[in-house]
Amino acid sequence: MSMIEIKGLQKSFGDLHVLKGIDLTIELGQVVVIIGPSGSGKSTLLRCINFLEFPNEGEIRVNGELIDPKTSNLDKVRQHMGMVFQQFQLFPHKNVLHNITIAPVNVKGMPNKKAVAIARDLLQKVGLPEKEKAWPSQLSGGQKQRVAIARALAMDPDIMLFDEVTSALDPELVNEVLQVMQDLAAGGMTMVVVTHEMGFAKEMADQVVMMDDGLIVEQGTPEQLFENPQEERTQAFLSQVL
Amino acid sequence: MAFISFVQEYFWGFLLATRLTLLLTAVSLALAVVIGLVFAFLKISKNPIANLVAAGYIGITRGMPLIVQLMFLYFGISKLVVLSSFWAGTLALAFHAGGYVAEILRGAIQNIDKGQTEAARSLGMSRRKTMALIVLPQAFRRAVPPLGNQFIIGLKDSTLVAFLGVPELFSKSMTAAAANYRPFETYLMSGTYYLVLVIIFTWLVSKLEKRLSPDRQEATS
Ligand SMILES: Nc1ncnc2c1ncn2[C@@H]1O[C@H](COP(=O)(O)OP(=O)(O)O)[C@@H](O)[C@H]1O
Ligand SMILES: [Mg+2]
Repeated sequence: MSMIEIKGLQKSFGDLHVLKGIDLTIELGQVVVIIGPSGSGKSTLLRCINFLEFPNEGEIRVNGELIDPKTSNLDKVRQHMGMVFQQFQLFPHKNVLHNITIAPVNVKGMPNKKAVAIARDLLQKVGLPEKEKAWPSQLSGGQKQRVAIARALAMDPDIMLFDEVTSALDPELVNEVLQVMQDLAAGGMTMVVVTHEMGFAKEMADQVVMMDDGLIVEQGTPEQLFENPQEERTQAFLSQVL
Repeated sequence: MAFISFVQEYFWGFLLATRLTLLLTAVSLALAVVIGLVFAFLKISKNPIANLVAAGYIGITRGMPLIVQLMFLYFGISKLVVLSSFWAGTLALAFHAGGYVAEILRGAIQNIDKGQTEAARSLGMSRRKTMALIVLPQAFRRAVPPLGNQFIIGLKDSTLVAFLGVPELFSKSMTAAAANYRPFETYLMSGTYYLVLVIIFTWLVSKLEKRLSPDRQEATS
């Protein structure tokens, strides 16, 4: 059984047809990297997976269960999916520790003590144990993003979605975030990663998906896609970014 | 000096009336925040009937002179239930200020980055919890300066309930001026009372603003 199974996914915003029929399967423990030009629908696809956007057509199965946005308990579905955003979106009125504990405590009903212990453990893992009392506004972009990853991990998700999480960072801060993601992948986390970091894709991806204009143009292992791209659009895109 | 003895004569009486002014203002504004929050939600809601109700309420409170609203509500409310002039005045002031507070809170809520809501929802938070834990605390924080302004306006607006027979500060000054034939000194004195209240209040609001933004405070210090 696959972790996520997407069939015939279509999404429009008004007249704008953004996703035009996506089929994609994500297996347990896989790292799937999605690449493609800006505006091709990568973020929209990611946001459909955790139902921040509702698909117009098609099916999304999570752990084998068909999710219907109208009848399924989406809060429950989302509890099992972590998401990290390009713009961090830490909660500015909560300190670092509280950012991480707020969901486990208020969504899962976890005792605060246990949530704090988990949060401290996660801060250790993302290399920020000394920042638990800091406010988000006091952190660098790279630190913010690592806290955002810890916040998502605190819900103990089955899958993590990353939407260009290093794109808003100064170049010297990119690696500290990628390192955390690599550790996560090495630990067996199922991940869907939208990124322009081709080094990460080559090294960490089990599957690379090339999107353009609302469709998957080509997908395969990093070797297949980077060494021997079959489609002209993939070749053109790679020649621009590599 | 004549003015000194004048001040001595009215100082305590006016202070007592000021207590009533403050009580009236505080209660009406507390109610206005509750009313305002309800109508802010109605205005944001996707339900067109709720939107219409909110737009109607806000339109009326902002579109009619306060004194007309006060009179209308005073006599209207008094027809339905027997209320003291204090409560009739307080409710009428709350009704009026509620419209402005609703607009302030609606703006503050809608100005919170949509990404904050998405981040909260992506963690599995319900709509309600997202509003209560993530959006509203940030919105209230941002609404403190305009709410503070509205509160100052509310304090000054409270003078109008003198016409409903509430013996607050302005009413006391009218009575005093009519009795002592010294309106200039009388209103100068009550005006000073209002001014001092506004200054204290402005100071409290700026304190509160700092207190509610511990992050920005430390970030800049
Ligand atoms: N909420 C929205 N409303 C309207 N148009 C949107 C919305 N979200 C995305 N789009 C449009 O959909 C297209 C694909 O966007 P996106 O999925 O963000 O692409 P990518 O992440 O690949 O850059 C773009 O043209 C974008 O402007
Ligand atoms: Mg995007």
